[in-house]
Amino acid sequence: MKRFLLTAVLAATPITANAQTATIDDIVNAHILPRFQTLAETSAHLATTARNDCSITSQTLQAAYSDAFDAWVSASHLRFGPTEVDDRAFALAFWPDSRGATPRTLAKLLTDQDPVIASAEDYAQVSIAARGFYAMEFLLYDEALSNIGDADDHCTLIQTVTTDIATTSAAILDDWKTDYAARLSSPDASGTYRSEEEVLQELFKTLATGLQFTSETRLGRPLGTFDRPHPTRAEGWRSGRSARHVGLSLAALNDLALRLSNDDLDISERIETSFERSIALLAELNDPIFTGVAAPQSRLKVEVLRQSIDSIRALVRDELGPTLGVAAGFNSLDGD
Amino acid sequence: MARTGRRQFLGGLLAAGLIPKPTWADVGSPVFLSAAATPDGSYVLCGIDAALDVRFQIPLPTRGHAAAAHPSQPEAVAFARRPGTFAIIIDCITGVEKARIDSPMGRHFYGHGTFSSDGSLLFTTENDYEAGRGLIGVWDAQNGFARIDEWDSGGVGPHDIKRLPGTDMLVVANGGIYTHPETGRTKLNIPTMAPNLAYIEDGTVAEIASLPADMHKNSIRHLAVGPEGQVAFGMQWQGDGPVATLVGIHQMGQPVRLMTANANDLRAMQGYVGSIVLSSDGHTIAVTSPRGGFVQEYSVGVGALSKSSAIPDVCGAAVLGQSIFVSAGTGEIGPLNTGGPTLQRQMNVQWDNHLIPISTA
Repeated sequence: MKRFLLTAVLAATPITANAQTATIDDIVNAHILPRFQTLAETSAHLATTARNDCSITSQTLQAAYSDAFDAWVSASHLRFGPTEVDDRAFALAFWPDSRGATPRTLAKLLTDQDPVIASAEDYAQVSIAARGFYAMEFLLYDEALSNIGDADDHCTLIQTVTTDIATTSAAILDDWKTDYAARLSSPDASGTYRSEEEVLQELFKTLATGLQFTSETRLGRPLGTFDRPHPTRAEGWRSGRSARHVGLSLAALNDLALRLSNDDLDISERIETSFERSIALLAELNDPIFTGVAAPQSRLKVEVLRQSIDSIRALVRDELGPTLGVAAGFNSLDGD
Repeated sequence: MARTGRRQFLGGLLAAGLIPKPTWADVGSPVFLSAAATPDGSYVLCGIDAALDVRFQIPLPTRGHAAAAHPSQPEAVAFARRPGTFAIIIDCITGVEKARIDSPMGRHFYGHGTFSSDGSLLFTTENDYEAGRGLIGVWDAQNGFARIDEWDSGGVGPHDIKRLPGTDMLVVANGGIYTHPETGRTKLNIPTMAPNLAYIEDGTVAEIASLPADMHKNSIRHLAVGPEGQVAFGMQWQGDGPVATLVGIHQMGQPVRLMTANANDLRAMQGYVGSIVLSSDGHTIAVTSPRGGFVQEYSVGVGALSKSSAIPDVCGAAVLGQSIFVSAGTGEIGPLNTGGPTLQRQMNVQWDNHLIPISTA
């Protein structure tokens, strides 16, 4: 009987404890920490660049912004622990902004010449919509907003927002290095995670949610409906970054999915093939800001891309999930 | 066969005009409604009798969610799963679909609704998604379910709605989460979400009960009302890290009471309550978590967890007489008090989120 039970347990959890620990260490050290390290470094560089040159036409500033934003998008699926303290992730990335709170708040700060724009420390208390990379996009690339208020105020605001981004990114990295990496690597009965399995489930959830966000939001918002497409609801269309973000997120999620599935060659290979297909479809689109969603033929290609991401989601949910002990029940997956 | 015979007999009498107006008492059965998925992947709405036999099965165009029972006539309205736009009116004697209603342009249903005390009006929770505003749709049940009004729900993302017994005071769980159908179920306002319980009578918000500020990411989603107007509510945690509580109870004019549980029991629910019921004596709240695979019972008097039972993919819950019945995505259904992880009946369908009591006995 004892032997039977042991066999049953092993069959239900095909990944052994040692392999689980190795997978977690690999993801922490090769996937998570480097991403937040890059985010902190590029954000610090962005803040320094803005202090030296805050002109919105500055190529150096635009390049620094692009690098830091790339770093964020490549880490943006890692939504647990340090990114969630004080809503840091939202302070870096308030999007989608369905009600237009970002431009409205920025315009008011500039029109009122609110003294808060001169202090990065105080700026952390303003509406979360006026902080982070999407606020910066308005300041750098939105024609209406760049004409509001005084030029010096505009410059000051760019310096403040970029400093705030750097502070937030540094705080996330610091928490990961000094605290949260150890919580993942050494789960214990009284900790945030009680077992390796719970850690893997958190990482799995982050993969599934990241795929969902890219499909439903990064592509779903511009697609809208056939009768009402919304190309100007695409992420980062003002700075020409919409398709770039889909590509960056797919690359990051592909990396995480392969590390999570590295003990099952069959699933791992199928995951890789399905990501390759989505990445190829994105490249074939050759439509940086998804303007094609408004025309029937090109729209179909964006829909096919989204369907390909949804098939990765199904593969991850139905095949990878069970190997990590994630229940794939009719109701447990529903969420309502 | 005997049951089918009775149903046909009643149907025949009705058709012949021999019974002027059937009531729930005439039906005898079923006692529950539940949406389900069948083995071939299609979606249905089932009427279930007290012996836990399926009395009727109505095909649904897409996945269902909850239903609302008429207070006196054997009639119910079943709703599509969020963000669905249809609801169907069912004759619970014959199991026949009588009518279908669609949400107005620019609105979708959240999957819950309730009737007025005299059954003349149907109220539905809806999303005015371009404005991001929660609505209560008002439908004239005596006039082919014509849309006659819509009211502010008192918050964002209204989900469950119930009526306080013996009154026309509605209580709405405004979950606080803004979604737009174009982005599926992506939550668009987590940093600023503010759930509440709103009491609404005749279109006017009579009272709003809120959670403490540090719990603003605890989405109030499902409700159960007691005979004295007590409102038990189940929550879904949208924050990171451990949640303080997932269950509370409120009565108009009084402060919210939050239930307590030890950290491990609370954690077992994975921050998610799928359904909630209040026992007929008002002493026990039961909540289900399909994610955790647990049903947990709270003693209202003590204000704390009293029992936890493991049942995989459990979600539906309803009170019948003195018993609490639960249903699961595995097809299991039965009363809780039989003990053990196995319920009384195993059916060849996957029971969906909610088990709806449809008897007024």
